[in-house]
Amino acid sequence: MNKHEDERQGAYTGFGEEWRAASLSPTEARRATDWVEARIDRRSMLTGKNRVEDIRDAMWQLEKDGEIIVHRIDERHKPVIARTLYGWEKKIPTTNLWQHKSCGQCGNIPGYPTSVMWLMNELGVAYLDETDQTSCTAWNYHGSGIGNVVSLAAVFLRNFHQAYVSAKAQGLDVGTYFPLVHCGTSFGNYKEMRIFLMHSAELREQVKKILGKLGRLVDGKLLIPEEIVHYSEWLHVMRQRIAERQTIDVSNIRATVHPACHVYKMVPEDVIYDETVLNGDRVAVSTGLMQTLGAQVIDYSTWYDCCGFGFRHIIGEREFTRSFAIDRKIKVAVEEARADVMIGHDTGCITTLDKNQWIGKAVDKVYALPIMADCQFAALALGAHPYKLAQLHWHASPFEQLLEKLGIDWEKAKAEFEAYLEEVKAGRIETLYDPKRAITSGPGYVKPAMLAAAEAGK
Amino acid sequence: MAHAATTIGDPVSSAPPVAYDKLEEIFADIRGHVLYDHELHGCLNCGICTATCPSAQYYDYSPREIVQLLWTENLEGIYDAMQEKIWACAQCYTCAARCPFENSPGGLVMIMREVAIKHGMQSAKDVLRPFSRVLLKVISTGNQLAPNMITRDAFPDWGPDVSKVDAPLNILRKAIPVPTLHTMDTAWVVNLRTSVELYTIWEETGVLDQLETVDENLFDVVSDVMDEKREEYAEWLEEQEAEDA
Repeated sequence: MNKHEDERQGAYTGFGEEWRAASLSPTEARRATDWVEARIDRRSMLTGKNRVEDIRDAMWQLEKDGEIIVHRIDERHKPVIARTLYGWEKKIPTTNLWQHKSCGQCGNIPGYPTSVMWLMNELGVAYLDETDQTSCTAWNYHGSGIGNVVSLAAVFLRNFHQAYVSAKAQGLDVGTYFPLVHCGTSFGNYKEMRIFLMHSAELREQVKKILGKLGRLVDGKLLIPEEIVHYSEWLHVMRQRIAERQTIDVSNIRATVHPACHVYKMVPEDVIYDETVLNGDRVAVSTGLMQTLGAQVIDYSTWYDCCGFGFRHIIGEREFTRSFAIDRKIKVAVEEARADVMIGHDTGCITTLDKNQWIGKAVDKVYALPIMADCQFAALALGAHPYKLAQLHWHASPFEQLLEKLGIDWEKAKAEFEAYLEEVKAGRIETLYDPKRAITSGPGYVKPAMLAAAEAGK
Repeated sequence: MAHAATTIGDPVSSAPPVAYDKLEEIFADIRGHVLYDHELHGCLNCGICTATCPSAQYYDYSPREIVQLLWTENLEGIYDAMQEKIWACAQCYTCAARCPFENSPGGLVMIMREVAIKHGMQSAKDVLRPFSRVLLKVISTGNQLAPNMITRDAFPDWGPDVSKVDAPLNILRKAIPVPTLHTMDTAWVVNLRTSVELYTIWEETGVLDQLETVDENLFDVVSDVMDEKREEYAEWLEEQEAEDA
């Protein structure tokens, strides 16, 4: 190669006289297209790397300037470092977690939070599930337009302030518990709000005024979390420890994963990617867990599509929601991937994909694909009761066949659960933690004896 | 100012024409939104956003069109898009993740929805009518969904298996081993103080004004709930003070 050719190679533009037809055969063209489709999502996001700011730099600077205080992830939270889209480090706390629940999960898919907390019990992870929290209110905002950036940011920081101070109710130091966000929309929304807050002094001032009225400032400053952490990220860094406790072989299960839009498309730079998980071409959470548990993770052509939830659509325009869910997700997973299950990691997606299969019968689109969250599948793999703990009876999709394939006798389990319901009627209820811990202030709060004695002695 | 007397009307609709001043006012509110410059940086009309958009497959909706209307300041087109098109967006943000200009068409749609509500557009009121149960729930409790909202009657198209175990809802809820979920009216037990704090946020951020604009009756109901809870909390505080004394 001569010098001239060398220079031309470096400066190749692909335009004008340099353009050459690829002359690919149909097979080669298909292979090339498949390659691009498999990788385009991450590739397109990587092109913007140089323009993307790590918002945490701005956060640390604001703290240095005395404007905010950062709720740190420290040794109390035993963090594990994960890598995000651009290789940046993200600290994932593994214990002392404040469960920031999801209204859609708790209202509609209760086995979701139940499985998260059950796994934590199994692994000896400390957590607090308390009543002093609201939802992020972002489902409503994205659905209706009622709400605004100030209200969303104020709700975000009010909830996270409560997480920061909650340990005081148990006589522990502030900051002991770090928030773990269950909902994908909350996760995306809070990350957006943190960016807006760091960028706008005006927004900080507006929110500070409101939180001041609520008594939700720390030393007169806004409290900002060092990281915003989704439960699926916790599962991801804990996946080896989870697999060590596995009792059920899942290697015969063909699993598809539906990555949630608000988890990985909103603020994509803060999402975990891992070269060992589908070559790092997909968001690693959920897929990494399923691989570690030994399931066969099957890629499919519409993996990047949304589920069709649409926020207001699932309430008011369900034709869109069910058509999209069936045509773009369920049908593809069943016909192309021959999936036994579709795994999700967000509230709206699980609801949409789970509830919108039955109606397909009306147009001869008959599919029966079990839908559940990654944590529910993991709990089952560790031997959790499918009804009492994974609470699968709330799911409309047919999970029974999947349980049979896993060697779980669902009929026996169902009978056990029905017998347990009689116990419940008689007031004999089993819980994952002491219910008194759930109330940290206000009506119903019971001060721990040690704390009350210490205060009395002052 | 040459446009001051100009109006926009639909020749096949009986709706009265809209004054150009009004269109300018609406666009000024959109452009003046605190996030506008964050969500819009330019547009080459490449169409990646529309190619990847779920709603574009089912509706007369294109995120590329939304961006172009705003980028070119096409006031009539913006007003027209605010009647129906902006409500087609599924808010998945695939467009934002893909845009080479780092625009967020989904974010721009949210700005336009907020402005549609601010101006009390009838289209916004019509579109949000089925959403009123969610609005009532979220404003009054901070939860957007409650177990007793998920019924076979409310969602007949979800089929017969809303629950695969036949038992009363309150028993099924108590059989969830997480104590905060033993509820029917809210997704979890919400601390009274939490609700009262949330009401302050709504008031301070104009959310209640938005609600009043789109649905006065709903606003009245929510106001009553808020008053009741505030009174309840005030009484509890008084009791505490009396006990401490």
